[in-house]
Amino acid sequence: MNDGSGPFLPGASSPIARLVEAFHRLPGIGPKSAQRLAYHILRAPEAEAQELADALLEVKRSIVFCAQCQNLTSRTPCEICSDASRDRHAICVVEEPLDVLAIERTGGFRGLYHVLHGVISPADGIGPEDLKIGELLARLRDVDTEVSEIIVATNPNLEGEATAMYLARLLRPLGIRVTRLARGLPAGADLEYADDVTLGRALEFRQEVQ
Amino acid sequence: MPGRVPRVVRTPAIVLHYRRLGEADRIVTLLTPGRGKIDVVAKGVLRSKSRMGGHLEPLTLVEVVLAHGRNMDVVTQAQTIDAFPATHADLDRLSAAMYLLELADRFTVEHADAEGLHDLLHAALVRLARGDGQQVVTRTFELALLDATGFRPELVSCVRCEAPVPAEAAWWAPVEGGVMCASCARSHPDAQPIDATALRVLRAFQALTYEEAGRIRLTDELAARMEQAMHALMRAVVERDLKSAQFVSAARRARVAGESPAADRGESRADVEADVEGDGEGDEDDQGASSLAE
Repeated sequence: MNDGSGPFLPGASSPIARLVEAFHRLPGIGPKSAQRLAYHILRAPEAEAQELADALLEVKRSIVFCAQCQNLTSRTPCEICSDASRDRHAICVVEEPLDVLAIERTGGFRGLYHVLHGVISPADGIGPEDLKIGELLARLRDVDTEVSEIIVATNPNLEGEATAMYLARLLRPLGIRVTRLARGLPAGADLEYADDVTLGRALEFRQEVQ
Repeated sequence: MPGRVPRVVRTPAIVLHYRRLGEADRIVTLLTPGRGKIDVVAKGVLRSKSRMGGHLEPLTLVEVVLAHGRNMDVVTQAQTIDAFPATHADLDRLSAAMYLLELADRFTVEHADAEGLHDLLHAALVRLARGDGQQVVTRTFELALLDATGFRPELVSCVRCEAPVPAEAAWWAPVEGGVMCASCARSHPDAQPIDATALRVLRAFQALTYEEAGRIRLTDELAARMEQAMHALMRAVVERDLKSAQFVSAARRARVAGESPAADRGESRADVEADVEGDGEGDEDDQGASSLAE
């Protein structure tokens, strides 16, 4: 089998092979996709390649952690944290920056965020000290804080649950209300195939039909 | 040759952990009674419409149907048998269960026979979920696991000179796999004194059945000393830090810090449950745990 590292290309150290190899290292890109992308760049006008190269370097040089929410941003505090129209009483705690985008897409949350950059996962060697939990506590202990609710939006799996309960335990002495995203059936799901935990929660937190 | 392998097998299994594979697939590590620890591919489980996703979460006893694959078997069906919901509602039990899963994973190699281990882990998870004392469940599991994998610790005689060691004068040498007499311990830099009562209870746990062991009353302080000794031993056997053991201690530290009268009552239901301690031995090693594992 070809692993995409080069034998099918003229000279493993050729510029094309280097580009294919670079694409292949990206998540979700297999050897064939890497070749396709490399040859696309090869055929594209130089300006397009230059734009891609500039964008890549710029993102590495200018993106920093927001001092407040720890999200990735080009300026700190980030756009959301410095937006005066956001509700400063609620912070939604998420695992990754992409989760912020997912929740923003719903349009249903107008509060602030805090990005943990991971989740407690002993199997992967990640403990609470490896996450941005200390930064969250510092935010909440700030004398000027108006936060009265923390919405823990970690994923509904073993690690996410452990992280949520651990956070709830840490935050309890601060007298802040800690809530968790509801858990139930996804849109388009099939009851017959739902797992017991999901179905049990869906029943437990059922709602009156409007 | 591969021709002998049946194309489809149905087996119960405990999900130990998983890792991501490509866009929406996962490699799931299962502990099965017949085939030991195996890695299998679960396709499309990250999509929200996946029919298997929720059934293949770690800390779940499932029945899976596996199709024989070229490198790894592929899960074609998965049905939860027991998801241990009570364990998920309590951080102390949940962290203990994560520790048991990590131990089961670290002590096994792929495809090696592990019939005893599957049953051992299953029994321990059932006991945790029904609210048995977390310390008794964890310690008896550790000792049984060490027994089953050939690492039975020597708790009675010195691991160096084989002389019987009285509990009052015993030293703990995790790297050597058990206790040492005072004179041998002098020449061993890693040996630490071990609490006499903790050692006596560990000896009893090693000799008794689970039900008998459960009748021994443990004070918080005693449980902490036993935990410290056993965590050090497990770390020495697997030759690496056990992150889940550290998390067990961190979770408990957070609880102790949170047990102030000013606690707010507005939490969600799951969080309140986490604070209501239900295990038989009570609150175990609150003070002592703070100094452990770090």
